[in-house]
Amino acid sequence: MHIEIDEIAKTFGTTAALHPVSLSLPSGALVALLGPSGSGKTTLLRILGGLEFPTSGRVLFDGQDATGLSVQERRAGFVFQSYALFRHMTVFDNIAYGLNARPRASRPNKVEVARRVTRLLDLIQLPDIGARYPSQLSGGQRQRVALARALAIEPRMLLLDEPFGALDAKVRKELRQGLRDIHDETGLTTVFVTHDQDEAMELADLVVVMSGSQSGGRIEQIGKPQDIRSKPASAFVREFIAA
Amino acid sequence: MSDIAQVRFRSATEETPLARRALIAVAVLGLGILVAAPLIVVFAEALAQGWAAAVASLGNRDALSAIRLTLTIAGISVPLTAGFGIAAAWFITKFDFRGKAFLITLIDLPFSVSPVVAGLCIVLMFGTNSLVGGWLVASGYPIVFALPGIVLATMFVTFPFVARELIPVMIEQGRAEEEAALTLGASGWRVFWTVTLPNIRWALLYGVLLCNARAMGEFGAVAVVSGKIRGQTATMPITIEMFYNEYLSVAAFSLAAVLTLLALVTLLLKTALEIRHADQLAALHP
Amino acid sequence: MGRPLVHRSPMPGLGLSMGITLTMLSLVVLLPIGALLLKGASYGIEGIWETVNRERVWAALFLSFRLSLFAAVFNLIFGVLLAWVLVRYRFPGRRILDASVDLPFALPTAVAGIALTALYAPNGAFGSLAASIGWKIAYSQWGILLALVFVGLPFVTRTVQPVVEEIEREVEEASATLGATRLHTLRHVIAPMLAPAALTGFALALARAVGEYGSVIFIAGNIPLVTEIAPLLIVIQLEEFNYDAAAAIGIAMLLISFAMLLVINLIQVWSRRRIGYV
Repeated sequence: MHIEIDEIAKTFGTTAALHPVSLSLPSGALVALLGPSGSGKTTLLRILGGLEFPTSGRVLFDGQDATGLSVQERRAGFVFQSYALFRHMTVFDNIAYGLNARPRASRPNKVEVARRVTRLLDLIQLPDIGARYPSQLSGGQRQRVALARALAIEPRMLLLDEPFGALDAKVRKELRQGLRDIHDETGLTTVFVTHDQDEAMELADLVVVMSGSQSGGRIEQIGKPQDIRSKPASAFVREFIAA
Repeated sequence: MSDIAQVRFRSATEETPLARRALIAVAVLGLGILVAAPLIVVFAEALAQGWAAAVASLGNRDALSAIRLTLTIAGISVPLTAGFGIAAAWFITKFDFRGKAFLITLIDLPFSVSPVVAGLCIVLMFGTNSLVGGWLVASGYPIVFALPGIVLATMFVTFPFVARELIPVMIEQGRAEEEAALTLGASGWRVFWTVTLPNIRWALLYGVLLCNARAMGEFGAVAVVSGKIRGQTATMPITIEMFYNEYLSVAAFSLAAVLTLLALVTLLLKTALEIRHADQLAALHP
Repeated sequence: MGRPLVHRSPMPGLGLSMGITLTMLSLVVLLPIGALLLKGASYGIEGIWETVNRERVWAALFLSFRLSLFAAVFNLIFGVLLAWVLVRYRFPGRRILDASVDLPFALPTAVAGIALTALYAPNGAFGSLAASIGWKIAYSQWGILLALVFVGLPFVTRTVQPVVEEIEREVEEASATLGATRLHTLRHVIAPMLAPAALTGFALALARAVGEYGSVIFIAGNIPLVTEIAPLLIVIQLEEFNYDAAAAIGIAMLLISFAMLLVINLIQVWSRRRIGYV
């Protein structure tokens, strides 16, 4: 799905989080929102997912205005920084949650739900953990379960907030490839937030570099990783990717 | 064998064994005199003339009607207070708005108001002399000296219990799980029933437990609004006072023993919750 | 640019939860308190002063406040001691001791009242002992003090306990390596850390004691000018349908409550500024 961000701005009370930003994300792209903390990248992601209302501006999905769509109607597969797994449910129930939450008419039956959950567990290469609780999983496993849960609703796009932030270096490398594989297999437009420039450069097709300021976060440069590296558009970008 | 083994190493963060024992002794003795002794006396006085007399006194018409009334009041006021607590905790922890700290202070207000003053407030608001009360009495719905007034007074004094327990727990748990459920397409009620409630159930039970104990035992506020009409508006604590003032010691203490058992069960359940679900209780995470 | 009153959010249930919260808060707490204040406003400060400024009322208010202060001071000392013993020491029965601290919260005040009276009356178990040395506890101010100590017992312990748990042993060890004796460490390192929580508990116990009624009236004897507490005076006025006098004393007590609430909040603000936690 093609995502168009049109002059989106956001203020929390009196503090500006996003200066009006515009951005066009081609269908099927794997996009990194890269920037230091305070650059508004998570706010932008949450606005895409419907978890935050923009103060002004529009969001368009495939050319249609989606600004007023509720979070449920967006069908965005959202992976939270802390994963936000339901701690009182098994992995199976976590992944099945979105399917069971559908209105009765479109809700798959039990057998179908089980079939889909099993397929997703295979996809994340953890076929045997369905009966476990989130507290019994490692950090890397949790991240993959969160991904499977987001994919279960057959989302129109995949949004990930610092998906590798809470993991140690070794697991992080493995899961990067995992995300790439899942993206390639599903073909979903995927946006992830990171402050790690290596991660953005290595994984994304398109990198959006953002910076923060008193008047809110703004976009410094949009481009392919190699272009950003070879032709940084501003002093900020040059310094940030050199760090 | 060297002498060194004889010297017990004392860590830098410990008191001398003597000081330790003295402090423990003071604690045990203090609580023994202040807490354990009154507890024992209640049962001793209730059973002063034997089991039969104690049980018989509970079968007394006034005692039975008091027990029924107290159960009714707790049955109405505790669910209402719990409902308020859940709504208030949701409002306060899931949304950002101005004046939040002030709202929390207002919710806590009943803790610092004397129960007698609370009762007085309700009498002034709904008594026959007041505008609202006069009209309600004229229309046949008296509040003061009747069940609604006692329920209101009980709710006033127990008002913060559930909210106060839930708010810190829900702040600590954050909003991410609810947000995740929303992105997965769940409706508001579904989010509440399947995600929020399971996460706060033990804290909710904890708050309800304390709220119930207080609701059944409230004396000052109820004494003012109930009018102490025998067989009609006399709750268990009020009836205890009546029996006591009429020198019906066994009857007074038997009824008191029932409430004491309730208090002990409350403490037992509370301690069990603290041991098993410490991670989900606010009281242990200040 | 003005800040919005409520920040817009996709979280469901704003209207419902706000509606229930504000409606019930108003109906149960704010409107009744408002009714009392309105009643007070109708006779003005002079009217209230005239009612309050009588020997019997002053005696009751002074008695309530003075004995509450003594009880709170006792609870401050004993409560800190209890918190320390319960957190730092391991001994058989610790769990039971810990749970029993909450009994005054769970036990109805009327039950506590008659139980304490039975114990400390001249023919009671402890009362007869005291009587043998000429000490009258029940039906004197000692009895009131005892009841107020009982109801305020848990506050200091329960506010101080978590703070004792949080103290890092390294701080104490650091003090010891610097040559401080244990007593010096307790006085100059531990005590200041516990002070804000202990003060909060003290203020809560004080507030509770000033308003206490149920446990006191049985043991007090209720003699005007000697053992008559302020809440009882309100009840007496109400029983005589003297609503104006009851309201005037009620307002005086409400103001004392508000003042104490303010003090509690100030202590917490101060402690948060100073050491970062309450």
